[in-house]
Order: sequence, then C-alpha cells, then structure tokens
Amino acid sequence: MRSPAVTALQGALAAEHAACWGYAVAGAHLSGSWQDAARQDWAAHAMARDALAGMIAARGQAPAAAQAFYRLPFPVRDAASAKALAALLEDGVTRAYLGVVAVADLALRAFGAMAMQGPAQRAAFWRGSTEAFPGMA
Amino acid sequence: MPGTLARRRLLASAAALPLLLGTAGCQAADLFAGPDPLAARPRLSPTVIALQEVIAAEEDLIRRYRPAVGRPPGPPELAPLLGQHEQHLARLRDRLLEPPGARPPRGQAIPGPPHAEVTVARLRAAEQASAAALVQRLATAEPSVAQLFASIAACHVTHAAVLSGLGG
Repeated sequence: MRSPAVTALQGALAAEHAACWGYAVAGAHLSGSWQDAARQDWAAHAMARDALAGMIAARGQAPAAAQAFYRLPFPVRDAASAKALAALLEDGVTRAYLGVVAVADLALRAFGAMAMQGPAQRAAFWRGSTEAFPGMA
Repeated sequence: MPGTLARRRLLASAAALPLLLGTAGCQAADLFAGPDPLAARPRLSPTVIALQEVIAAEEDLIRRYRPAVGRPPGPPELAPLLGQHEQHLARLRDRLLEPPGARPPRGQAIPGPPHAEVTVARLRAAEQASAAALVQRLATAEPSVAQLFASIAACHVTHAAVLSGLGG
C-alpha cells in the first residue's frame, strides 16, 4: 500500500515532470536573457525531478513517469504568454511541495518546505511580483 | 405524549443515579480518575504555542517595515511587501483560538536593531531569519498550520530576493 509520504512525493514528481515539459514550450518563445533564465530553471526542475525519483525508489515504489503530452492552460504564442506559463508551472510545483509539508515524517516536512522556496522565487521572477501565500492560492 | 414520557423516564433515571452509585460503593468524584480537569487552565497545545510565537515574529517584522515604508523617499517596492506581512498576520490570527485575555508571549521575535535604524539590508536579513525560523517550527505544528508556516516562509524568501534587488 502506498503511504501518504510517497503519494505526496509522487505529486511533487508529477509537477516537476510537467514543469520540465512546460519550460521546453516556454523557452521556444523566449530569447536572450529570458531564454537563459528559462534554461536555468528547466535544469533546476530536471535535477529536482531526478532527486524525487530517487527518494521514491528508496521507499520501494516506482517513480511516476512523465506523460507523453500535457495540455497547456492557455495558448503560448509569444514571450508574454511564455512567461505566464513559466509562472504557472512554478506555482504548480510550489503547491505540490506544500503537499509534502503535510506528511507526518518531519524530515520530509522540512524537505517540502525548503523545496518549495525555489519555485516560489522563480514564480515571483516570472510574474514580476511576490505572492503572500505561495502554493496556497 | 411520547415526548413527555421520555422526559419523565430521563428524570427518573437521573434521580436514581446517586442511589445506584451509593449501592455500588462509589462516589461521583470517583468517576474521574487522575487530576481534576477543572483545577487549572488547560495547557496550550504545541500548535497554539508555535502560532503565538510566529504571530509575535510577524508583528515584529511589520514594526520593522513601517518606518522604512513611511520614510520618504522609501523604495516603492517595500509597501507591497508590508501589505503581504499584514496578510500573514491576519491569516495567522485567524488560526489561533485561545481563551479571552490570553496574551501572546513576548521576547520570541527575532532580535534586531531599534526599528528607527532599519535599512533594506537589515530587512532582508530579518526576512531570511524569519523564513529559517518558520521552517524550524514545522515539527511542532499540526499539518495544516505547518503548511501555512511553510507558505509564509517561502513568501519571506521571495521578499528577501526583492530586497536583494534593491541593493540590500
């Protein structure tokens, strides 16, 4: 039976998979320093994805695989919509790590809280403003 | 009148209770084993204590921001950050249910300079310290409150990044 901790980690992994896919879409509509930022953020998500897969495997479960295709929440055709997509992806990852904070395992709680700080910062970067309650909206 | 009958039966049972206890050789006080639950104010739960301390720290952050926001020509970026701290305080207070008259503990706030000397660099340091302290408190809070602490900590980290951009 899957534990709540593994379920929460699988949720975070699914969000990281989606972010990796989404950044590839967003990056294609960005250029210059914005594209550099997208590339850097994609790399951060790929690292986090691999780390989560390792944590899930260490708990004796199979890490969830990425989907072949993700439905975009809105058409991405230019830099503005690409930045909006990046912010949305980061919101999703932040929310998923907040789910990890609710588990009983205290080490995982702390992990979730620390892990959500990176995507919260990146969401603020892409949105151009901070939010009072990252991951809770 | 079934309602009246039921009430009469209940009253008769209540009247008979001391008699039953007496014949069984026990007194009403024996029904409560252990310390008298009404003898003292109930202990605060770890979650309530954590909330009180986080509220005190958030109030301290707000006290630090206010002079910096009000001082012309303060950076315009500070006002939205102060507004978000005020949102944090309101949400934290909503989660805190404590007896009337109970006061949050003092002296739990992050130590810092007198608030008149607040600079962008000091605000950034206070945001970072507060974020770290919030993560430290996760273990003592119930899950939903731990999530609130983690979200506020993440917000403080984003504030610190904004303040870094201001040269803090």
